[in-house]
Amino acid sequence: MLQAHSLLWHYLWVAPSVLLLILGLGLLRLRVYRQHPFFLAFVLASAIEQLTLYVLDLMPSVSPLTWWHVFWVGLVLESILKFALLGEIFSHVFKPYVAIVRLGKNAIGGVGVLLIFVSSLAAALTPVDSPFGIVSGAHQLQQAIYIIECGILAAIFGFAWYFRIGMPPAERGIALGLSISACVHLATWAVVANTRLPDDTRVILDFINMATYHFCVLLWLYYFLLPRKAPALTLAIALPENNLDVWNRELERFFQ
Amino acid sequence: MILAVIFVVAAALALIFILGISFSRGLQLSNTGSLAARIQPVDLEAFRNLADPAEDDYLRRRLPPAEFRAVRRRRLRAMAAYVQVAARNATVLVRIGQAALAARDPRTAEAAYQLVHQALLLRRNAALALLRIYVALAWPNSGPAASLIVRGYEQLNGSAMLLGRLQNPAEPVRISAGM
Repeated sequence: MLQAHSLLWHYLWVAPSVLLLILGLGLLRLRVYRQHPFFLAFVLASAIEQLTLYVLDLMPSVSPLTWWHVFWVGLVLESILKFALLGEIFSHVFKPYVAIVRLGKNAIGGVGVLLIFVSSLAAALTPVDSPFGIVSGAHQLQQAIYIIECGILAAIFGFAWYFRIGMPPAERGIALGLSISACVHLATWAVVANTRLPDDTRVILDFINMATYHFCVLLWLYYFLLPRKAPALTLAIALPENNLDVWNRELERFFQ
Repeated sequence: MILAVIFVVAAALALIFILGISFSRGLQLSNTGSLAARIQPVDLEAFRNLADPAEDDYLRRRLPPAEFRAVRRRRLRAMAAYVQVAARNATVLVRIGQAALAARDPRTAEAAYQLVHQALLLRRNAALALLRIYVALAWPNSGPAASLIVRGYEQLNGSAMLLGRLQNPAEPVRISAGM
């Protein structure tokens, strides 16, 4: 069952892409694309990329080299969209809070620079895991992208947590899905890129990646397409009445 | 292989960190009814006294250097405790303010926005002040600028008062004591 071209393998490759297309159409229908243009672009691009790679994989006339060229193009496009999406998440979560948005940009920008350095170092130290440069290069690039993506997402969550900024549900869902996918992929790609695994073991890692991605797509569907009740927001502050006058007197004395 | 192990562990830790934060109550816009009770009053006068550079100058002139450093460290530790409580209060007020941002009354929403803005500023200043305090603990002769905290805290207190008055005119917020 856990073999390439098994029924489960076909399902895990195709189903998330089909679900992403459904999600993309849902986003268009709900007009959510105005608030999340990069998420919509990422969803549609990922679906088209994966379905194209799947079809090419099944076509005997397509050479492995052609398949890897298409894979590279898709990887680069998807990575650009992913980082634009991270910017979109940051903007939606922190832009309303003028007091910390600049600090946040600087902090997460600093983390980004550090992660680029770490991922470059990791790529330099990673052994060549395939006789074909196009394959090992793709593994190294994916490892680098997942290092940066994982780190930036952790920084966004950490920054929001420190300041107790409530994440809107949509941003939380997108970020959570990206995080789960990025962390699992980072772990598996790091193993693939840094060890010489036999093919049957490598296929198991592929299954882990595909299953995780499927789960993340379901998570996005849950956050975007399932109707939810708006939380009832109430405020109950029980405080003594005479404090206001005392406070005003103190403020006046202080500013004199 | 070592690199693979490092990244697998790092990815696992990052995932645990993100899931932990994501499913903690910290990032959820939820009911804040019980939050106000978590606010701890801060003795602003004592805090201001500790942050006053003139007090430090007076002690520096009056005490021998070794004794001054010991006293200053005690004062810095006390100041850090005050700043930590102020930062915790700011955290609570951010959440209260965020919940009140959805209020239909524009005056309440505006007051909530001001409260969140000032609470975030205070939280940021508190982090920077704590950093300076800990540096000053290592070098007691330097002077931590905690005056930002004092001013920020007072503005925050005023905003909390305004929000409390708008939401419940009979019961304003109190986050300071000893006045």
